[in-house]
Amino acid sequence: MLKVNNVTLSFGGLVANNDISMEVPAGKIIGLIGPNGAGKTTFFNIVSGVYKPDKGTIVFNGTEIQGKRPYQINKLGIARTYQVINLFKKMTVIDNVVVGMHSRLNQGYFSALFKTKKAREEEKMAYEKALELLDFVGLKNRAYQLADSLSYGEQRILEICRGLASNPQLLLLDEPAAGMNATEKVELDQLMQKILKKDIGILIIEHDMKLMMGVADYLYVLNYGKLLAHGVTADIQANPEVIAAYLGGDE
Amino acid sequence: MTMFMQVFVSGLVIGCVYGLIALGYSLIYKASGMMSFVQGDLLTVGAFLGYTFYGLWKIPVAISFVMVFILMVLLGFGIERGIINRLVKKKTLPIYIVLATIAVSYILQNGAMYIWGSNMLTFPRLFSANSIKIFGVGVQPEALFCIVVSLIAMVILHIFMKYTKYGTAMRAASMDPMAARSCGINVSVSTGLTWGIAAAMASLAGMLIGPVYGVFTTLGATIGRKGFSSAVMGGYGNMYGAIVGGIILGLMETFTSGYISSAYKDLFAYIILLLFLFVKPTGIFNERAIME
Repeated sequence: MLKVNNVTLSFGGLVANNDISMEVPAGKIIGLIGPNGAGKTTFFNIVSGVYKPDKGTIVFNGTEIQGKRPYQINKLGIARTYQVINLFKKMTVIDNVVVGMHSRLNQGYFSALFKTKKAREEEKMAYEKALELLDFVGLKNRAYQLADSLSYGEQRILEICRGLASNPQLLLLDEPAAGMNATEKVELDQLMQKILKKDIGILIIEHDMKLMMGVADYLYVLNYGKLLAHGVTADIQANPEVIAAYLGGDE
Repeated sequence: MTMFMQVFVSGLVIGCVYGLIALGYSLIYKASGMMSFVQGDLLTVGAFLGYTFYGLWKIPVAISFVMVFILMVLLGFGIERGIINRLVKKKTLPIYIVLATIAVSYILQNGAMYIWGSNMLTFPRLFSANSIKIFGVGVQPEALFCIVVSLIAMVILHIFMKYTKYGTAMRAASMDPMAARSCGINVSVSTGLTWGIAAAMASLAGMLIGPVYGVFTTLGATIGRKGFSSAVMGGYGNMYGAIVGGIILGLMETFTSGYISSAYKDLFAYIILLLFLFVKPTGIFNERAIME
């Protein structure tokens, strides 16, 4: 589904991503790990269109997407969350999810303003679908509260829910477990399994190795902007280079 | 009682105009975190355009209004895309961008003088009746029209921002541009459109006040500054605050001129601005935006 070929990006003299290639198939969880500053978030930013790579291609379902703008990439079916929570805090939980549907709603400016029958029906469907999604992630009872009022862990879940609202085929999760307690982490694990059943591929950055080893089908390891190793989790755990990078790094 | 009502109505008229201008400031602040000094002069341009279409070319008033509205959306959009956004992209300091808006303001003001001349023009009457009676007081129909249309425009804007996909997208884009982009929102278009709507609101104010005050190149300059005061009073960045702040300022001003002396109405308006900045910078609607 997603195929990244030899992506390179430098900021000034610093090569943040150096010749990275990877594949994310549908219905699998692919993990991206590595010490801080290894270039993981930069890689997410390239895939989601925040940065344009200097070299290399990113192919999503047969279309080259490198250099496309973030909103265009979202439209094509890639949604993401952020390391730092980026919710619309002064909107209700359900409105956050509805904003996530933006690229899937068709109403035009005038039909929107004059509330034609079609626009009203679409809006009704959007809110019904948003409630369904909130139910799916377990936040239905908080739907009409401000996003601000959710706990840290719930806000992370809401961000995932907002990502799902655009009906993506690929979901990029940037440290979704950061700041979560043990119970919330278990719930996150279960949620990801449920998402997989929808045949959505997940690419996840996570520092919680226990969680990562449990959920990921396949791991890619970045170090100093380069791909250090990749393989099934058991192989990665036993890989001496990976162990050295982690022990020698700042983790 | 007669005097009270007359002062009250003229206070509402100018207050609604301040409110429309302040709305623009709030929209722009929310969308770009920026202050724009162009609002007042967009009012002037709107008034001149309305005068040209309706007064000179005799195009029916409703069509003239719509034409001006559309042109001004384009002008506002163009100012954001062509000037503001380019400066932002060059990582220019916000204070210089504010200065750029002052430059645009004078260019518009002087440009209007170049096109329409420096004499005061008379915006033709919108209605044939000279006055209509309300509570036993004769009121110029244009004044009433100004109040009614402003309030309707504010309600429509509220519905647009709160209950439509695009308004929601615009609010989302202003709260968190990065997250909005990854929700599939074209933030560039959305920000440009916010400036466009702000410009259209200003031009509407211009066409409404034109028949009451006449049309001249500095028509918007004072009103623009007062609109700024209104926005601060209401809570800078808060749409409802902008309207309430505008109407309160308008009423205070006309009551000062009516019952004390018109010579001191500006003194009063700006003392209030300073008072709010010191005592309650978050305004009546407690908008925290300016404190962050």
